[in-house]
Amino acid sequence: MFQKPVRRIRWVTAVSLLAIGAAATGAVAQSPAPATPDLGGVWEVTMGVRTRPGPGAPEQPSLTPEYAQKLADFKAAQAKGEDEESPQANCVPPGMPGIMNQPYPIELLFTPGKVTIVIEAYSQTRRIFLDGRKHPDDPDLTYNGHSIGHWAGDTLVVDSVGFTPDTALGPGQGYRHSDQMHIVERLRLTDPDTLEVVTTVDDAKALTKPFSGTKVLKRHRDWDIAEYICEQNNRNLATDKGKAGIILNH
Amino acid sequence: MKPCITRIGTCALWLTLAVLPAAALAHHSYAMFDLSKTVTLQGTIRDFQWTNPHSWIWIDVPGADGKPAQWGIEGMSPNYLARRGWSKHTLNPGDKVSVVIHPLKGADHGGSFLSVTLADGTVMRQSGGPPPSSGPAPNP
Repeated sequence: MFQKPVRRIRWVTAVSLLAIGAAATGAVAQSPAPATPDLGGVWEVTMGVRTRPGPGAPEQPSLTPEYAQKLADFKAAQAKGEDEESPQANCVPPGMPGIMNQPYPIELLFTPGKVTIVIEAYSQTRRIFLDGRKHPDDPDLTYNGHSIGHWAGDTLVVDSVGFTPDTALGPGQGYRHSDQMHIVERLRLTDPDTLEVVTTVDDAKALTKPFSGTKVLKRHRDWDIAEYICEQNNRNLATDKGKAGIILNH
Repeated sequence: MKPCITRIGTCALWLTLAVLPAAALAHHSYAMFDLSKTVTLQGTIRDFQWTNPHSWIWIDVPGADGKPAQWGIEGMSPNYLARRGWSKHTLNPGDKVSVVIHPLKGADHGGSFLSVTLADGTVMRQSGGPPPSSGPAPNP
């Protein structure tokens, strides 16, 4: 009878001391953060099972008159045998959004406050900050942009801006984007090893309305990202007119 | 070795088996290849370059005059092939093989790889993917 209260007091004291110690080191006791889905690992875009939202024909970008003219000019050049090849033939990476749609896998690495996407094709890397920071007011314009992200329930939402207009909007070089391109990617598991990525692109200068596409990635738990040095033995080339060439000296 | 090049028509079986790697479009266009033609080369491997961004099969093919001509055949990268049953040892100098390709437009001795039959009869292809889309629509 007499011992029990003493023991309880000692226990409470110990917990209090632990709490004080935790507070002193900044690790204030709080309820654990809700678990987020495990999106880590090596993923491959499943070519051929891409889907697009809505019924009917694939969604086409709706271009402003200025960018529709760029596309028309591109097609006219192609009709003359020019612009048949893209800068990728010279090992120039495609930038966003095309770099996320390659036949080689990507690896998602989760570390505190950041997701790093290691992209095998062209040995590219994207960094998505989840530490609450905002986009820079005046970002430098880059191929893969500046990315911030947050969790919305079970969906990782990635918001990217700051793209150089040097790159194309898509695999077709005729579709261009401006420095105002803004991309939102929504990543969500649809089963333990299937990742759905809905990508929505808007661009106040180039597009009259946003357009989006959905792709499906499969997780390969037994794959590793491999080296990809495009310049190692690149025998393809695009001339200054975009003419396709190939080098057969060996 | 027997005549080295078989034009489309006698290659109907190959055509049904051959699947153009949509994936390869990631790096460059197919503008330089004549996709309407499928050619079978029979010859001897001179070199197999297990390199990025493409593997290259270099094969000596006897010409009509009996003299060998070197052909260069572009395939998918080691990264892609290694995940689909290939290795740097799949082809070795001296191997007698039969290679199916889309040839280059024009007279140069080059092409885009479709499949290879090894000396033991094993057939190696590189992709189970669909044919490339001809549409220009970007897919973000």
